[in-house]
Amino acid sequence: MNPQPFEWTFLDSRETFSLMELSQVSGLSAAELDELMDYGALVPLAAEQKPNLFSAEWVIPLRKAGRLRQDFDLDLFSVAIVLGYVNRIDALERQLCSLQSRLPDDLARGVSG
Amino acid sequence: MKFKDYYAALGVNRDADLDQIKKAYRKLARQHHPDMSKESGAEARFKDAAEAYATLKDPEKRAAYDQLGMRPPGEDFAPPPEWRHDQGAEGQMFEDMDLADLLAALGKGRGGGQRTPMPMAGRDFETSVQISLEDAHRGAQLNLELGDKPGDRTLHVTVPPGVVAGQKLRLRGKGGKGRNGGADGDIYLHINLAPHKVFRADRHDLYFDLALSPSEAALGAEVEVPTLDAPVLLTVPPLTRAGRKLRLRARGLADGHGGRGNLYGVVVIDVPGVLTEEERKLYQSLADVSKFNPRNTSTRETAHESATV
Repeated sequence: MNPQPFEWTFLDSRETFSLMELSQVSGLSAAELDELMDYGALVPLAAEQKPNLFSAEWVIPLRKAGRLRQDFDLDLFSVAIVLGYVNRIDALERQLCSLQSRLPDDLARGVSG
Repeated sequence: MKFKDYYAALGVNRDADLDQIKKAYRKLARQHHPDMSKESGAEARFKDAAEAYATLKDPEKRAAYDQLGMRPPGEDFAPPPEWRHDQGAEGQMFEDMDLADLLAALGKGRGGGQRTPMPMAGRDFETSVQISLEDAHRGAQLNLELGDKPGDRTLHVTVPPGVVAGQKLRLRGKGGKGRNGGADGDIYLHINLAPHKVFRADRHDLYFDLALSPSEAALGAEVEVPTLDAPVLLTVPPLTRAGRKLRLRARGLADGHGGRGNLYGVVVIDVPGVLTEEERKLYQSLADVSKFNPRNTSTRETAHESATV
């Protein structure tokens, strides 16, 4: 069976999402996303540009934060705090992976456990 | 339809107020959430508690649920006939819904006496896959198992070249089917790279340990090194120190846009496990004449990167 030629979207800085698209994929309403922007937890590519566009890098953190909101019954301000930590953990994981790759193999495998 | 005792799931009395219900749920969520607990069955216990809380925290849904009365958990029952209209679900679809679906949709079908079925988006699937460096470079064919049980549904897909470790991809509209005109769900794929026996990846760049003998490092050499494609000859400049990175341009992973990352050999200077008598004498002669002290940091120079294929 041949694989079907699906069109994947890379959820990184190469792609952009509108506010409505972010709302659809994250389960958070447009008003809630606006409030997250007010808190500075969600940042558009260019604040002065209307309508706002967002890097596709926001999709997974917002889905994760939205899921934690539902699972733990969090208010939106807590979601804003969680979103900051989710992004920070992701950045640290990327940095760790990058540093591990530059270490000699025996050290890199030791660090990764 | 099977009855579920939502009060028992949260461990509260039927007359518990909202604060008690919320506190009981948060305690269970903290205990059993998949991010918090890796115990077997924790996820199922969390889902039971979440389903119960979704109904009991909402006064309208709680009142509807209370209408059902107290029944043994798992008992078959028929929901009140008016629910059929309230949910905007008719015929076979109504019969297929479970208690959680019915209560989740409660009220959505109401409004102005109209009984228009409420659009319901299809389920999203989020899954992780581990692929090899070679597959990340050239593209990979995968079978994605979608569903709660293995074999529920398999999607045969091609992951394009250019993905990196930690890459997230979205496949729109290939998740669960939407209902009543609701959009189909999406698939979210998290890419992990399997450890490679030679290369370590950082985005599209690759690193490997370039082992050199002391004489190769001191005098320079031409050495054969591995790449993803085929071995190539690399010129090691004289006086190459341990830890120095020698770059081979565009020999890393494909970036998906026609380019490639770089390949770096990280110099590791090795010595023989055993010396012949002649080697030992020569090393001794070198030691006698050499004034080099590697522990004297003032004699060390900053390492440079070189492009030397």
